[in-house]
Amino acid sequence: MSRHPQERTGRSLAAITSAMLLPRFEHHAGTFPQILGYLASLVLTLAATLLVVHHLIAPLYLPAVILLLAVVQAGIQLGFFMHLREGVGLSWQVAVLILAGIVALGIVIFSIWIMAFKSGVS
Amino acid sequence: MIEAKQSRVQGQMPLEFRDEQDTLAILGFWFFLGSDVVLFSCLFAVYAVFQSRVAAGPTPSQLISLGPVLVETVALLTSSFTCGLAIAAMRRGRLRSLMAWLIVTMLLGAGFVGMEIHEFAADVAAFGTWHQSGFLSAFFTLIGTHGGHVSFGVLWAAALLLLLLRQGLTPRVARKLYTFSLYWHFLDIVWVFIFTVVYLTGKIT
Repeated sequence: MSRHPQERTGRSLAAITSAMLLPRFEHHAGTFPQILGYLASLVLTLAATLLVVHHLIAPLYLPAVILLLAVVQAGIQLGFFMHLREGVGLSWQVAVLILAGIVALGIVIFSIWIMAFKSGVS
Repeated sequence: MIEAKQSRVQGQMPLEFRDEQDTLAILGFWFFLGSDVVLFSCLFAVYAVFQSRVAAGPTPSQLISLGPVLVETVALLTSSFTCGLAIAAMRRGRLRSLMAWLIVTMLLGAGFVGMEIHEFAADVAAFGTWHQSGFLSAFFTLIGTHGGHVSFGVLWAAALLLLLLRQGLTPRVARKLYTFSLYWHFLDIVWVFIFTVVYLTGKIT
């Protein structure tokens, strides 16, 4: 089995290389996903607005709920409009976006935390 | 055999991804968007902290009226949709339809900026400028930065339209249009968060 280690390495390298060069494009998707994404974002925007205007949820939970709706809408934009997964080989843009997201969340959460902390002490 | 396979794969690719250099340029643009995410997160953090520091100026719920903002939001959502349609048309090689959707996108974007400037002018007339309070400073900086991005996007779309007229739909022009579409959809995402965090949250009392 391990008589031709070099050959095996060569073959698996070729397999990895061809997997890395695999194109992923939605050619025949047409405009249907775009229409779906558009309608979904309109519905989500309207839902968030109605929740706030008509006080449909206790004010304590309202910010978290509408923020969740915004995150869903961002996901729709990324998936339906920005072709996030498209590309050749590995989707490096996903890694970039995850890193940026972690940094952004850290900045927002820790800024709020440290400022609230200070006003709590004094 | 490998070459034949590769050329078949090349033929299946959308125009903007056929050249390796263009593919890298698109990835580079994602890196730029990542840095813009961080820029806006800083402004959001500042807004979240200064939201309650109103001094003698207006509170968020006094300043904000949801009606015009909702119109702006629908305009921007629609422009994001038409931009998606423009790219779909580009991938089918339909130049006229691509240009038509790009113009619609541009007009909606310009309309959005116009409405926003109008809102800003009315706010300043009623409540004073960003000097009034920490809240107003953070408010105008966050939303103004987004509005500046959209204004730049409108100019960019106009430049791309001229490029399309002069050079036609080449792989290079297709890549530029594709990065523009990424930028435009990204601005829509930022606006969704501004609408939620600033406008809707400001109305929760």
